[in-house]
Formats: sequence, structure tokens, C-alpha cells
Amino acid sequence: MTKILFTLFLINKSGVVFFSVTPAMALKGWIEGDESADEMLSRLLTEGSPFFFLPPLHRLPLRVGNVLELVGPSTSAKTQILIQAAISCILPKEWNGVHYGGLGRLVIFLDLDCRFDVSCLAQLLKHRIMEANGLSSKEHREQQLGDLLNCDAKRQPNMFYDEELFAVCMRRFLYVRCYESFEFLTTLKTLHYRLRRESEAHGISVYCLLIDSIGAFHWVDRACRPLPMGGDNRKSLSLLGVSETVVQEVSNLLLLHPMVVIATRTTILGDKSSANEVPW
Amino acid sequence: MAPLKSLELEYPIIDVNFQNFCASHAIFSVEDFVLHDLYQLAAFAEQQPTSERLKEGITQVLNIIDNLHQPWLNGLELLEDSLQNKQVLSTGFEGVDLLLQGGLREGQLTELVGPSSSGKTQFCLQTAANVAVKNMGYVAYLDTGNSFSPQRIAHFAGQISESAFNQTKQKIIQKAMSSILCHSVFDIFSMFDVLRQLEFDLRSQMDRGEYRVPLLIVDSISSLISPVLGGSGSQGIDP
Repeated sequence: MTKILFTLFLINKSGVVFFSVTPAMALKGWIEGDESADEMLSRLLTEGSPFFFLPPLHRLPLRVGNVLELVGPSTSAKTQILIQAAISCILPKEWNGVHYGGLGRLVIFLDLDCRFDVSCLAQLLKHRIMEANGLSSKEHREQQLGDLLNCDAKRQPNMFYDEELFAVCMRRFLYVRCYESFEFLTTLKTLHYRLRRESEAHGISVYCLLIDSIGAFHWVDRACRPLPMGGDNRKSLSLLGVSETVVQEVSNLLLLHPMVVIATRTTILGDKSSANEVPW
Repeated sequence: MAPLKSLELEYPIIDVNFQNFCASHAIFSVEDFVLHDLYQLAAFAEQQPTSERLKEGITQVLNIIDNLHQPWLNGLELLEDSLQNKQVLSTGFEGVDLLLQGGLREGQLTELVGPSSSGKTQFCLQTAANVAVKNMGYVAYLDTGNSFSPQRIAHFAGQISESAFNQTKQKIIQKAMSSILCHSVFDIFSMFDVLRQLEFDLRSQMDRGEYRVPLLIVDSISSLISPVLGGSGSQGIDP
């Protein structure tokens, strides 16, 4: 509780500082177009809690527009973190009186590793739903202690809603696989139109873009160094060209669809040239 | 990659004017299109006299690009597909089956990593024998280090088959051995050849469905890839 208050205080303070320091001459029109600190606060509060409550992401004040990279060796549960984040995103805040504490938004999963196991996601989602329901059915059972019939009747509707809720949540999880850099780039290029279509179809917007293993094609792209044809202006599908285009596309996308981007990257074991790891 | 000129026949909106406009921004093919910032291109198109047609052309190329990636699926469709189409193959080792929650899954790549002489080849041979004996289809075995041993396969197949009679046992062993297709590959290009041939065979037989290859084993892939990557052996790939 104190942590949240402290962060809000920071936003408030920074809002005030911003508006008092900037000179009002040529930028006046530009400044007036933005929202005031008060409006920004109310927007952030109504957007729902931007914090993912599951460790280790709960320590980060993730907000839309942030790009987070999870780096680690091969079996350090990075994809698990992505799956948990996805589940927090697709679960609704409340459903039929049961509190799930999710965000109720769409999630896009770009699988570059092609190792995604959907049954793992389904299992974890069911577990989360049953966990939230288990508490409420327990309360019901305590309320109606001597009345077995009532208990059964109350429990059955919960199980029925589980199925429906499960289906609704699974439909909010959008998945695409990329087997090479070119497919990755084409997916990113057409992502904007896809997101628009999906948002209209579901009525909710995307909150999260999850990329599993952004370095998946690193070695392949590094090995393919096609000769640049037709002058200097022409880019090629080399490592540099692909990386630049990916960064450009993601930043363009974030301007149109404000969302959180989380990408994983595998460090190669025993590679002495890998970056220093910040102790978590 | 397809040069823009070749798309003119099918999509008349990609006319010479559009191609010249793209050429002025060093875009000659669909690949260049994908690498270029399209919002910037659209902004430049605005300044041209034929801006509407140019923007239509850009939209048309975007539609073409939309067909060049894998289809989008939602979670429910993914789950249904994995439950209906993807079988679980038992490895023959109870402990490993428990760890893998049933066994090896179709459509998934399972990597077996370990130092040399840790039993990886034996595991591969046992799994191949198990799948072959249980009549789940053919097994494609790509052997890079001459470690494939038919004697071991026969031994495992004999162990797995539950028949007590010698004759039926021999028949089972023979049938199992004939469903394991072993290819010796010593460099990555011959492996690509074998895989392409396999893909072609499977695709051409898809309607009849008699030629099923549920298991593909590569023993071992690091000896094919480390010469290509070069550098010291500590690039993280253990044999």
C-alpha cells in the first residue's frame, strides 16, 4: 500500500515539475494539447493497476509503452514468466462475483522459438481459475454448514462458469509462430491491422505483446550475409538490417497501440562475451 | 524474393508508376518492402501527384505480405488442435515418461543434452524401438556418428514385445526393424536433403495417410552445426 502511494506521489510530483519548468513561448500550443497532471493521474488510476502481481515482475512498475527484456540461460523459466503474465492479462478482474484480479485484455504471443506448449497455458489457467473459485466456494460452504443440497447447487454454477470463463480467456490469447526472420518481420508489419480487427471483434484492446526468444534467429541471420545489391540505400536481411527493422516496427506499433512489450532472450552458457547480469 | 515487377500481372495496381516510386526509395522487391518504414513511405507518397494510387499500391503489397507469415490462432483453437492432432509417444522408459507427462509429444522438439557417454544414443535407440514395436508408424533416424546399432534395436524390440512365442517375437522384431528408416548424414546439407525428401514424401501421401512418420531422431545435431558456426566449442552446444 505504501509502495503504491509512493509511486503516485512521484507521478504527481513529476507532473508538477514538468509543467512549471518548460517555457511557454513557442511550445505553448504543444503543451496545451497534452493532458494535465490531474488528468494523467485519473487516467492511470482508472486504467487499473499496472502492476503484475506475480514474481519476479511484481517489483517492476510496468506501464504501457515499456519494453522489457528477460535475459537468462536456457532453462530459467523465462517462458513460464511470459505465460503467467499472459494469464494475468487475459483473466478478467471479476466474473460472476468471483474476483480474479486480472486485466481482462488481449495478449499477443509471437513464438519465434516454436516451442510453446499450449497445454501448459491451459493447465495454469485452469489452476488460477479454480484457485480463485476454490476460495469462494469454501466461503459458501462455511455459510451453509448443515445444508448439503444448497452447497451442491451453489458449487455447480461455479463449475459451469469455469468452462465459459476458460473459453473466453483462451480466446483472448492470440498466437502466431515465426520460423524465420522474414516471417517475423511480415508479422510485425501486418500486426497493426490485425490488432485493429481483433480489438473490434472482442471489444477490448491489447495490453501485452509477448515475444518468445527475440534472439532466436541470431545465428541464422549472422551466418547469412547476402551481398548488398543496388547501392548503399538498399537494406538486406542481415542481422543488422533485421534488428533495425524490428526496433523500428515495434516503436511504430507502440505509438498506435499502447501496450507492454516483454521479450525473452537466451544467453548462451559459457559464453564469456555475454553482458554482465544485474543481480535480481 | 519476388521483384515488384512480377506482381504487376496479378495486381494491376502495382504499375510502372508505383514501381518507379518504390525504386526511388531503393525498394525493388517484396523483401525490400518488408525492411522499409511504411509510414515514411506513405508520407512520401502523399507528396506525389498520384498519391491515392500509390497508397492503394502500398496497401495491396501489405495484403500480399499478410499471406507470407503463419496463420493467427487463438488459445482455444491451439488447444483443440493439440488435443486432436498431436499424439503422445511413449519412450519406453517409465521414469522419463513420468517426467515428460506421458512421453514425447508430436509437434514438439525435444532436445537431449548431456556430456558424452551419458546414454543419449541408447535412449534414442530404445525410443525408436518402442515406437516401431507399438505400430505407431515409421521412425526416421538420422545418424551422424555411426552410432546406430541394429543389434541393440533388435534387443530392445525383443524386450518390449510381450509375446512368449519365439516365432511371433521374431516377426514382431522384423516388422519393427523394417519401420525404422536409418540415414547416415555427415554434414548439414545432406541432412537438409534428407529432411526435404521426407517432407515431400509426407506431403504427397497426406491424402491416403498410410505413411506416418511420428518420430524423427537426429543423433547428434551438434556435430553437424558446430563446423558451420565455427569458433571454439564453448559456444554452448554440447554434443
